[in-house]
Amino acid sequence: MTATTRRDPRGIHIGLIGFGILAYLTLIGLPGRFGEAAPFVMAIVTAVIVALALRGEAQRHPPATVMRQALIAGAVCGALTAALVGIFAALLGNGVRVQPVLDKITPPNVAAWYGAPVLAVARGQLGAFDFLRPFLVVLLGGVAGGALAIALHRAASRTRDERAPAWTRWAVIALPFVLLLAVVVLGQPAVTIGGANKGTIRLLLAMLAIAAGLFAMRAANPGREQSAVAIALLAGLAALPFMLDQFQNAVMGIVFIFVMMGLGLNIVVGYAGLLDLGYVAFFAIGAYAYAFLSAPFSSPWFSQQLAAWGLPTDQPLLSFWQAIPVVMILAAIGGILLGTPVLRLRGDYLAIVTLGFGEIIRLFMLNLADLTNGPRGLLNLAPPTLFGYNLGNPRDIFILALLGTAVIAFVAFRLERSRIGRAWVAIREDEDAAQAMGVDLVRIKLMAFAIGATFAGVAGQLYAARQVNIFPDNFSLFVSIDALALIIVGGMGSIPGVVLGAITLKGLPEVLRGVDEYRIVLFAALLVVMMIVRPEGLLPSERRRMELHGEAEAAPEQAS
Amino acid sequence: MRERGWVRALQSRIVSQSLVVASDVQRRAQTMRWVARAIALLIVVAVVARAVAVSLTEGYPLTFWASQLVNGLVLGGVYALVALGYTLVYGILLMINFAHGEVMMIGGVAGFFALQLAQALGWMSGPAGLVALALLAVMGVGMIGAMLTGVTLERIAYRPLRNAPRLVPLISAIGASLFLQYSVLLIFGVSPLVYQRPALISGGFRIGPVFIPYTGLIIFLTSLALMGALFVIVQRTRLGRAMRAVAADRDAAALMGVDVNQIITFTFLLGSALAGAAGVMLGFHNSVIKFNSGFIPGLKAFTAAVMGGIGNIPGAMVGALVLGIAESIGPSALGIPAEYKDIIAFVLLVLVLIFRPQGLLGEALAEKKV
Repeated sequence: MTATTRRDPRGIHIGLIGFGILAYLTLIGLPGRFGEAAPFVMAIVTAVIVALALRGEAQRHPPATVMRQALIAGAVCGALTAALVGIFAALLGNGVRVQPVLDKITPPNVAAWYGAPVLAVARGQLGAFDFLRPFLVVLLGGVAGGALAIALHRAASRTRDERAPAWTRWAVIALPFVLLLAVVVLGQPAVTIGGANKGTIRLLLAMLAIAAGLFAMRAANPGREQSAVAIALLAGLAALPFMLDQFQNAVMGIVFIFVMMGLGLNIVVGYAGLLDLGYVAFFAIGAYAYAFLSAPFSSPWFSQQLAAWGLPTDQPLLSFWQAIPVVMILAAIGGILLGTPVLRLRGDYLAIVTLGFGEIIRLFMLNLADLTNGPRGLLNLAPPTLFGYNLGNPRDIFILALLGTAVIAFVAFRLERSRIGRAWVAIREDEDAAQAMGVDLVRIKLMAFAIGATFAGVAGQLYAARQVNIFPDNFSLFVSIDALALIIVGGMGSIPGVVLGAITLKGLPEVLRGVDEYRIVLFAALLVVMMIVRPEGLLPSERRRMELHGEAEAAPEQAS
Repeated sequence: MRERGWVRALQSRIVSQSLVVASDVQRRAQTMRWVARAIALLIVVAVVARAVAVSLTEGYPLTFWASQLVNGLVLGGVYALVALGYTLVYGILLMINFAHGEVMMIGGVAGFFALQLAQALGWMSGPAGLVALALLAVMGVGMIGAMLTGVTLERIAYRPLRNAPRLVPLISAIGASLFLQYSVLLIFGVSPLVYQRPALISGGFRIGPVFIPYTGLIIFLTSLALMGALFVIVQRTRLGRAMRAVAADRDAAALMGVDVNQIITFTFLLGSALAGAAGVMLGFHNSVIKFNSGFIPGLKAFTAAVMGGIGNIPGAMVGALVLGIAESIGPSALGIPAEYKDIIAFVLLVLVLIFRPQGLLGEALAEKKV
């Protein structure tokens, strides 16, 4: 690698990779999203790519070499990008309709690259200099990236030996409360912040407050200090639903329903290491069970049966609270029924078979029209009530989700440290060794499936009550993927990780409007990147971190 | 002295105890195996009885079954090409390339563009020889597109994780699968890409009363040819021998001077090329390709690979044909609605994994592979 600096193949290489990424972003229509800011954003993207790619070079080579490579990377990347965008602009300017094939290559998207008016592109009125602009933008980004790489290297070598001073710990602990305070202050009608949307910012702050709270718990010293922080944080969390408005509460409600579900999946995947891709099945069982119990009239077959038994069909069979144990039992039975056939399967096979189960359940929901009313769904589910009060509004659903999360998190926390929890970890690490040590594999695995399913079932019930009407499409494969992604991003086997993951993956997209279209691509890329960079997640459990890093120590030797 | 005697007594007790436990476990495993066989037999008998009963009551004509069989063989041919990719990769890396179905889909997309170009150049309406050549070129482009995708995928998403715990690359593969699907959705939009069949291969012919579409025949024959080519590559060439060596023992192969990285890349190339061909042929057969066209066929092909015995090349072909036929004949034979045909594949997968985890043709696998 040292001898190759003369001809700088690394700069060209980085330029090609950068071009690949920029071309991809253009094809999925990202520049158009940013409008006038697009050149700036694209320059930043280039800078980040180049800085990441040259991070290692900055350690080994003098700044001049790094800058030269950055310049070459920027030039290669810029020339190719400008050529690609130029071709699109020329096509559009000559009235060729690209869109039937390349969906996002529209005049606004291409014009964003030039910082030019849309009509200029559509009518082919771009000047010669305009065609150079993407090149200059990317070139500047590349050079900035080189400078950034050097700066990062300098900063890293300066702070390497310094330990964080004591006050940072207190700052971390104080941060969630400061953020909560900001939520309250911004909630006052008198406070305004320019033209920005106050509601979105408050929602973002509330989510950041919860996330910061998780880190504050980590930062606090175990013992009395940690308990005090925990109690203060719980008080803050309990107050949160009363600080937020309808929309904000609705978002937080769905986030915490996913936390409930994620905690269940965390038991199956995180603790017991059984990769279940059909987890949505249990969520769906919970939701449909509650639907049958609370709106029997919308299921043709079920209402017929009830009528045959002489029971009334026009009102809920059981209230929300009475339905909880029934849903739990049904979901647990579902977990055992789906878990039994796959007891002998491991890892990848388990993943595919459970994925199949998830699809089968969805196909049944769609096609068993007599029972589930097919794609028309089950309608008019009863909201939860308490002493005659309707708890169906977003704030109360959020409170219920918080309560459910608290109960489930407590159970999961205690289970993790119980005999069963240790057995789960044992089968995750080495099934054969665990069996040799006397772990009853059948019982322990079924326990994991049943308990995980129970949690998902309750989450599904709450979800159904929140939605009022449920359809098979609510329970697609993507619910499983979402749940899996959130526990992976948060940190498998870590309860605070699940909360952080749900906020990152379910909450933040609600704040960042316009990202919705890119949500799945973003998730998917995040899954791959997480696995490569930080497979233990953002807030890993201690044990998991040690496991994954024990193996990772050996890996870089081969990779480099 | 006394202590030592005590220890020895304890030791001998433990040994005899564990021997008892071991034989007990063996006996239990033996009975479990017989129970499993009995249940498997019962299921087979029940399915056959049901099929016989349905076919007697419904009274479909024989031509109906024959044309379903033809459909099944065509479907099986496509599954086989994709299943081979799963099997090759699994044989070498012991990982499921979850994104393999998407590699196939991208092959189909690349083929679509080649087809558009060929149409624009007027090759598709020329003389029969030109059309045939153009069709081959379209398939070649599809294969190249899939190969690029497959190799890039391995480079980015799998290679850095080669020594990680097994769940890690699998999750990365799931991420890659979603990423490819939804990137295609974003780039090409929701409306499917329509393959227009040239006149040469639209329509079909009849053998007696059974109608056989040309695309079906071509798919089946091409699949056979490609599988033959693969077989020759794996069994007769140096690279193939290196592949088999890496599959048998990666470290030993490396010590013998095999470049493992190169062989793994080559494996992805081969598997992706077959998948790309399958993607183009599926495009011609179904007339459309869209972002999720690869997902379900990918799962089915994986099922086929497992049914045949994963890591086993002839097994993947047999498994795919069995699955294709089961899927096209199954719904009418068992008298269940056609919407449930996807369920048949998954149920078959579960049954095979439970009752014959080594697959139809597979050798008994070591525990680590199951």
